[in-house]
Amino acid sequence: MVGFLVGEALRDLRRAGRVAISAIVLIMLSLAAVGSFLLLSGNLGHAVSAWRDRLRVIVYLKQEPSTAAASALARKVEAMPGVAGVRYVSRAEALASLKKTLGKDASAAEHLTANPLPASLEVTPTADAATPEGARRLVERLSALPEAEEVAGGVEWVDKLARLQRLVTLVGLGFGGVLGIAAILTVTTATTLVLHARRHETEIMRLVGAPELVIQLPLLLQGMVQGLLGAALALVALAIAHAFVAPKLVPLMAAALGLGRVDFLPVLQIGAIVVAGAVLGALGGLLARGRVAA
Amino acid sequence: MIAMDRVSKVFSVGPVKVPALTDVSFRVAKGEFVVLHGKSGAGKTTLLKLLYRTEVPSEGDVEVLGQPLAKLSRRGVAALRQNIGVVFQDAKLLPGRTVYENIAFVLRVLGTPRGEITARTFDALRAVGLHSRARAYPAQLSQGEAQRAALARAIVRRPALLLADEPTGNLDDEMGNEILQVIRDIHAGGTTILFATHQARLATGLRRRVLVLEAGRLVKDDG
Repeated sequence: MVGFLVGEALRDLRRAGRVAISAIVLIMLSLAAVGSFLLLSGNLGHAVSAWRDRLRVIVYLKQEPSTAAASALARKVEAMPGVAGVRYVSRAEALASLKKTLGKDASAAEHLTANPLPASLEVTPTADAATPEGARRLVERLSALPEAEEVAGGVEWVDKLARLQRLVTLVGLGFGGVLGIAAILTVTTATTLVLHARRHETEIMRLVGAPELVIQLPLLLQGMVQGLLGAALALVALAIAHAFVAPKLVPLMAAALGLGRVDFLPVLQIGAIVVAGAVLGALGGLLARGRVAA
Repeated sequence: MIAMDRVSKVFSVGPVKVPALTDVSFRVAKGEFVVLHGKSGAGKTTLLKLLYRTEVPSEGDVEVLGQPLAKLSRRGVAALRQNIGVVFQDAKLLPGRTVYENIAFVLRVLGTPRGEITARTFDALRAVGLHSRARAYPAQLSQGEAQRAALARAIVRRPALLLADEPTGNLDDEMGNEILQVIRDIHAGGTTILFATHQARLATGLRRRVLVLEAGRLVKDDG
């Protein structure tokens, strides 16, 4: 019976002809749009996570403390709420770090008559404190330290990046949604053509007492086949685009966001796109199905 | 097998009521061969449609194969139709399928095991003398052959009741006689037959019980 139903669905698909092809292309476009925005959003999400992990608040000290005083100050700061870790950076360490950063231009630092850099504390915030509000409270607490000259660092821009990521996801879903509705309507048209073409079969099926499920399931299946084909084509197009474009984007992403690679969609999202394709197609079949029931 | 009790059917065409059957009552016993005779528009097709439940009566009760049809669910109607074979004036074969596929299609939609389909399809084709034309498409058949294929499709499920709605109406005498012989053979196998025709010569020539319909009323039952 399953073979019969699938056979009838494929026969119906052939009957729908060009309209079915249009529906498949529209499903492909809508899912490719959603997929590409998900891809962009996913990689922005990686950047947001990476930057949240790397986030540090720097407390510049008025004076370089003795080793014992630095340890005591670090312990005091570590005990504050919102602090996950503290590292004391002496003036000498700060200068060494600067030279390392300057690389081949490090000789410029040799001409300094004295080390101009202050000692500091590198404070790693907890996850709660790595939000704009949490960071503001942490900066307030650290600024209140008598040893603190200045407190630098904030998470506003990371948060802006996170907002951008959410916006990209929403735009993708909206864009894909509009195309998805067009795809559903096209599948409905294709299924309606099929209904017209198979009216004699339907009449015979009813006449001989075929169960309603057997009459209507091929319609649903041919819609789902259109959806699955559209989803498969969308994933192939995304994979090809990723293979060609990602290597060219890596230097840009590394410079702008510190990302060493541009990942493809995770397995869960690939599965979601396949399911979305099947659902889009089935919805189109379902909308037309009401007419055969009538 | 069949019982109609004071059955009327009225069709509404906008505000106009058109009576198709009026106060029709009769019974057909299991194994009978009954001819339903009447001119075009007398109500023969409507009466048959009430029996396989594509129409419901406006008044009265219909019972087929021991089942009152009034309260039959959709699933019940499907189950009932699995035991009724129907043939029409137009053979209604599916043009894109061969004769074999047209008949096997019925068994496939009803979920018959794959192993049985071929044997039962060829049994039905042999019963109507069409097994040598199994691979032909409907367009390649004569009208008589097409009607025999339609009969094979109707009997492939071995129904208890065969409703024939003017199956010889489009055929010349020779082809019509062939179809009649096939229907007689089917009846000889134990199937109850209700055979509708507008041809008076045919109705009397069959020498069977005849129900005569005139303008939707049953005016004669010689049973």
